[in-house]
Amino acid sequence: MPDLLEVKDLSVSFYRPEGELQALKNVSFSLHAGEILAIMGETGCGKSVLCKSILKLLPDMAKIKTGQIYFKGEEISAYSEKQMQRLRGSAFSMVFQNPMTALNPCMNVGMQISEAVRQRQPELSRRGRQERVEELIELVGLDHPGERRRQYPCHFSGGMAQRCVIAIALAAKPEILFADEPTTSLDVTVQAQILELLLKLREKTGMTVVFVTHNPGVAARVADRVALMREGKLYRIAEVEEFFEESIHNQNCI
Amino acid sequence: MKSRYIIRIVYSVVKFALSVIVLSVLVFTISRLAPGDPLYAYYGERVEKMSMEEQEQAREKLGLGESIPTQYVRWFQGAIHGDFGISYKYKMDVKEVIAERIGNTFFLGGLGFALIFALSLFIGLFCAWREDKIADRVICGIGTLTSCIPEFWMSLLLILVFAVWLKWLPSSGAYSVGKERSLTDRTAHLILPLIVVVLGHLWYYAFQVRNRLLEEVREDYVLLARMKGLSGKRVLCRHCLRNVLPSYFSMMAIAFPHILGGTYVVETVFSYPGIGTLAYESARYQDYNLLMLVSLLTGTLVIFCNILAQWINACIDPRIGAGRESRQGEVGSL
Repeated sequence: MPDLLEVKDLSVSFYRPEGELQALKNVSFSLHAGEILAIMGETGCGKSVLCKSILKLLPDMAKIKTGQIYFKGEEISAYSEKQMQRLRGSAFSMVFQNPMTALNPCMNVGMQISEAVRQRQPELSRRGRQERVEELIELVGLDHPGERRRQYPCHFSGGMAQRCVIAIALAAKPEILFADEPTTSLDVTVQAQILELLLKLREKTGMTVVFVTHNPGVAARVADRVALMREGKLYRIAEVEEFFEESIHNQNCI
Repeated sequence: MKSRYIIRIVYSVVKFALSVIVLSVLVFTISRLAPGDPLYAYYGERVEKMSMEEQEQAREKLGLGESIPTQYVRWFQGAIHGDFGISYKYKMDVKEVIAERIGNTFFLGGLGFALIFALSLFIGLFCAWREDKIADRVICGIGTLTSCIPEFWMSLLLILVFAVWLKWLPSSGAYSVGKERSLTDRTAHLILPLIVVVLGHLWYYAFQVRNRLLEEVREDYVLLARMKGLSGKRVLCRHCLRNVLPSYFSMMAIAFPHILGGTYVVETVFSYPGIGTLAYESARYQDYNLLMLVSLLTGTLVIFCNILAQWINACIDPRIGAGRESRQGEVGSL
């Protein structure tokens, strides 16, 4: 399979008043088109920072120290903010950990989805955009899209809100979807539903998924390949069977 | 559903009326307990030549001979029928004295309020957008400086520079003698007081807007909005501002009387004929009836704006409305 995304020797540091904090240390990996790569590791090992530095959504005090990121052979680590904006709304998309804070509480969900649609398909008319929004709401498994789009995030449960976030991510028709612990803040039955939904959507759209999680069960269930991170370093990356087989022999790896 | 709203409205009106009555009792009592003789306001220097008996008679005539509770009850009965008594200094109905000047104050205060409202939103947005860049730091510095200068001192400084040295603008009053209807003349008199009113309050509100926006910028939904491919400026104006506006509106509703109060000081320094100057004079000369009506008007406005702020908040923020609905749902399911 060709490499869709390639990360070479990436180091990221946070420059805080107390001093430098190395969040990523010489991380290298590549992402094959169409696969699901699960990134595992304990809290604070740099999983989210890795996603956000690829998307350049890091806070101002974080800087990429060394390394390059290639998307389809083009170096995007040198891209300006303007160029990144174009990529974010179309090639990349992201689903966040806590859906209740990821949605703007003062804007109805239809508007929030429609914003993403507008970025990706500016040629659509008002009517067309609305239809697309309702289509997306149905796609992520919510009923009554006509009413749903007029509701605010506070009317939604966690699972429903996460479906909305996924709808926003899908509006971009992304080539790579970064799912940053999308099920961590949900209860177990809803977790299963959301996982099911993500897998179904992957089937339908054929997008590549980077799935961040700290749950080995989830990683084993969804991933084609698994990467393990520890203290800012990429510790191990392997096909899913191989990864867990070795881990059984060597308990310390997880 | 409808009866709930009626109950809420009745509740607000009752709260409003009670607050105004309590306020009137307080102002009435305090002004009469304060040292000073109201006869001076009515008779001026002549009081010193009056005998004790004559003074007693005069007091009786003005209705000041009885105990404070009796006086209050009499005042209250009159007030209900719209009779607020006469001003001791101007010797005419207090309503007329105030009616002549209230327009000036509302013009100055209202214009100042509108400017502060629009400018602070704009400056706050700009500073939040350029967070910690040079422009933001410079504006923060200047803002802190201007908001620390007391209004009366800033007024004097501006009078010195623009009226005395440069002679560009008049130093006091609302119009020159004989030019009451000239718009340019009125505007020229308005500029300096307006600058002081605006500069005195602007930074406080702009800073509030800036800080609230910066809090919002660090929220998760900003990441999602940027993930859609929106620029930082669009996210700030479309997403963050929307979350700040409800609290900004209620803040400005409370700010209205505050800014109006600020014009009182400015009016006094610029001898601008508004109710601020009246309030100062009436408190100084024990012009009880005038003081009562001025305080009541101001107080009513303050209380009204506070209640208005609560309503605005409940109307704009979907979360507050949602809370109410879901509670109803629970009751229904029980």
